Amino acid sequence: MNDSMRHGSKRSHFDFDSERRSNRHFEQLQAQTRRHFLGSLTGGLGSMFLNTLASPISSMALGVERATGDTATFDLKRDPKNPLAALPSEFAPRAKRVIYLHMAGAPSQLELFDHKPELTKFDGQDCPASFLAGKRFAFITGIPKLLGTQYPFHQSGQSGQWISDRLPHLEEHIDDLCIIKSMRTDQFNHAPAQLLVQTGNPRLGYPSLGSWVVYGLGTENQNLPGFIVLVSGGNTPDGGKQLWGSGFLPSVYQGVQCRSHGEPVLYLESPPSVSPSQRRKMLDAMDEINQRRYAEFGNPETLTRIAQYEMSFRMQMDATDAMDIREESASVRSKYGSQLGEASFANNCLVARRLAERGVRFIQLYHWGWDSHGSSAREALNIGFAERCRQVDQPIAALLADLKERGMMEDTLLVWGGEFGRTSMRENRSGQEMKFVGRDHNPGAFTIWLAGAGVKPGMSLGQTDDLGYEIVKDPIEVRDLHATMLYLLGFDHRKLNYSFQGLDQKLTGVKPARVVTEVLA
Amino acid sequence: MIVPLPKLSVRAYFGVVTLVLILALSLLLLLAPPDGVERAQLLQFVGRFHPLSVHLPIAVLFLVALFELAGRSRHFSYLLTSVEFLLCVAICGAILAAFLGWCLARGGGSSGQLMTQHMWGAILVAIATWICWFLGARINVPRFARFYGFTLIATLGLVSFTGYRGGQLSRGENHMTQFMPAPLRSLLGVSASENGTSDSPRADPSTFYGARIQPLFTDHCVTCHGQNKHKAGLRLDSFAAVIRGGKHGPVVKVGDTKNSELFRRITLPPMDDDFMPAEHKRPLSPGDVKLIELWISHGASATQSAEAIKTAPPASIGQASVAEIEFEEIDPAAVAKERSALATIFSQIQQRLPNIVDYRSRTSADVVIAASWRGPQFGDAELGALAPLRDRIVAADFSNTAITDRSARVLADMKNLRQLRLTNTSITDATIEELGSLRELESLGIFGTRVTPSALPVIAQLPKLRHIYAGATKISASADVPASLKGKLVF
Repeated sequence: MNDSMRHGSKRSHFDFDSERRSNRHFEQLQAQTRRHFLGSLTGGLGSMFLNTLASPISSMALGVERATGDTATFDLKRDPKNPLAALPSEFAPRAKRVIYLHMAGAPSQLELFDHKPELTKFDGQDCPASFLAGKRFAFITGIPKLLGTQYPFHQSGQSGQWISDRLPHLEEHIDDLCIIKSMRTDQFNHAPAQLLVQTGNPRLGYPSLGSWVVYGLGTENQNLPGFIVLVSGGNTPDGGKQLWGSGFLPSVYQGVQCRSHGEPVLYLESPPSVSPSQRRKMLDAMDEINQRRYAEFGNPETLTRIAQYEMSFRMQMDATDAMDIREESASVRSKYGSQLGEASFANNCLVARRLAERGVRFIQLYHWGWDSHGSSAREALNIGFAERCRQVDQPIAALLADLKERGMMEDTLLVWGGEFGRTSMRENRSGQEMKFVGRDHNPGAFTIWLAGAGVKPGMSLGQTDDLGYEIVKDPIEVRDLHATMLYLLGFDHRKLNYSFQGLDQKLTGVKPARVVTEVLA
Repeated sequence: MIVPLPKLSVRAYFGVVTLVLILALSLLLLLAPPDGVERAQLLQFVGRFHPLSVHLPIAVLFLVALFELAGRSRHFSYLLTSVEFLLCVAICGAILAAFLGWCLARGGGSSGQLMTQHMWGAILVAIATWICWFLGARINVPRFARFYGFTLIATLGLVSFTGYRGGQLSRGENHMTQFMPAPLRSLLGVSASENGTSDSPRADPSTFYGARIQPLFTDHCVTCHGQNKHKAGLRLDSFAAVIRGGKHGPVVKVGDTKNSELFRRITLPPMDDDFMPAEHKRPLSPGDVKLIELWISHGASATQSAEAIKTAPPASIGQASVAEIEFEEIDPAAVAKERSALATIFSQIQQRLPNIVDYRSRTSADVVIAASWRGPQFGDAELGALAPLRDRIVAADFSNTAITDRSARVLADMKNLRQLRLTNTSITDATIEELGSLRELESLGIFGTRVTPSALPVIAQLPKLRHIYAGATKISASADVPASLKGKLVF
């Protein structure tokens, strides 16, 4: 047990401050027997030999920087008692924090940003066979009909970008948005597609964007988690809590889901009869036990646990305050369209601004309910979708306005988007014309927008074909978006990595990703 | 190997063992030659000791020659007794260096003519040294003695040749002549233009191939498909080599782009395993691809004139492609040096104000302050503690803190500030009026303070200021603002 723990700690990215390490190392050496020595000697030789057999990409155990420049690791060692301590980025960052607004369910780009007059002309006609060859759809069967844009579009702002009439408040900020109309993904179902957008991988078990960012940068405010998640829309996104999981990174970097009313984190408050000083005494006692255990086994996760207890103690004060939108004036609340006591996207946007002001590194909002298949009124493009647009339009605009007037747009990166796009064809579940109007999933093209720190305002990038179905210009992969976000935060995406399962794991994965220079200011 | 005298048994052992090692090494080179494929890191790690070890046998061999010469004099005849020992050292050193060299080449993915010559040169050195030793031990026999002299000279020649090839491998083919002074150059008859291209004739720049195609190969391909590395047996450093193709056959099919492997590889989707240039190296631009397509479809000729293909995009336009990000290289020593003057005081202040004071990045000695998260617990006293770092601070956020006008002087001394946030603090015009010294300031946040329009003339003096976030103050959009602040106030 003792031995395996020690080996575990060697591989971990945590390390101890040098004095502690040398003392401990000395004690460990004293405890070593000849048997230990011989064992680790032969084992070590064996592992070195095995290393030479493995393929060149999988031999990180030696910790040698490889010449390709692709896998150089980046020193992210911290005092394990303080795993969220702020660390400077690799080079001067443009953004200090991120607010990511994920519209779970995938909003239709053809009803919001991707203006396709040709599609309206062909409304109701059979879809061209070339659109269907070799494609898989979630629901479309047979030959579906094309579906014209449901809402009128117009050009707006100095930049003259196209936008539909569904987002009148956001439109006031159109000159601040950098709209990417040529995003694509290779996943056509919600959970894997959301995982791909949020973790860079469609399968479970990979760290989310926010985890990577907090792992790389830590967070300023030590009284709040560095990565906070707020969910609205009546449901958790299909990808589940794994969307803000830390995967193989130490668990301290996972997102903390907070509620936007009542206690922000359940059971954070001490029970009514327990006073803060009693709580403190209890924590001290627990710390002592944990410290003893750490002295015995040297497992850094023990120190992480102590740090987490301490964090929750500090959070009792600050988290409640940060989440309490009653502190905002009624006029500010009405600007967001916020109603006290609701779990609404509007409240979450207001909380997001308060968290950003308090130095939280990564703020992730999910708003569920954009899956406009047309199978029910709630999923209809002309009913439920319009309602969803109304729910997010005003709060996002108010958030942008607040950040702008405080000068926080200079160092906050905003991202808005879903997990894939929607088809140019009307969904025909089981080959029947459906009662409500809707579109199926289209991984081939979707629209997101960026705004704020380091992003070129008032531009759009990329182009889809005349029917809005496939990208014809500047395709941007999800990993390109991730590389760009990390670049804005001051990282070379190839160097922010973590050794796991013999691979230098990266947010952007093993395929080549590029920083989308076109959108950089 | 026979043992001629019982007295020599240790020598005999040595002789047999070293000879077997040399033969084994030769077999290794024959059976597993460096073939341009990168391999295990351990091989490379061990191989990196090759340059370190290789100088020992070289030096020792020259020392042997020196001893032999000096030993002819009576005064130095005692040196001769050491020669045999030195030769033994040289044999061992040569074997070790050659083995490490193999590790380096096999692991590091090198191959090519230079490499082959260097490698076998080393084996010959080891064999020649062994023969020297063998003959030297029997120097009393006259017919051996004569051969000994010849062999020693031959060994020195071989070791020089091998060393020269090694130098070419690590320092470039023209490493001896590159910086040779011009008079010496002309004396030796080395022409400047010849350097480094000895066996890849320069393509004629008046031809389409020479002007447009070879430069593309040189820019994008020859690092892996050139003289020193020819991955997959392919070289793209001369017309003849391009047409010859690689170990899987020709890569260019005259007039037929579809069946030209080279063209297929460069037009695959970039994430395809077969895509070239491989390993995320900069891909060819669409214009470059078009040029290669035209060249192949027009007969892949070496002689066609540069203007012959009318449809080719003009040279300047072919280069237009999306800008790629150049990530800064971190030089830790330079960063540490830049930081050193204030390093101690910085760490003291950082210890006092953790997660508030930090460097702007790992590549920078600039300091940024993020105090807003401390809220009311950060006040004038804490701000005062930052004073020693004042010249390094480039960005400071004091939003929502308890600082007051008493901090004005400290702020005014932070002369390199580019971004300053005083949002929701109790500062007033008194502070703003002190800030005329912040000549570098680009962005100022005074949202939610009691600042009035009467402070604006001071701000208007700041030459680099671009944004003033003045919402929720006494300043309003309709206020009378100095002309130089027009369009800079954000509400």
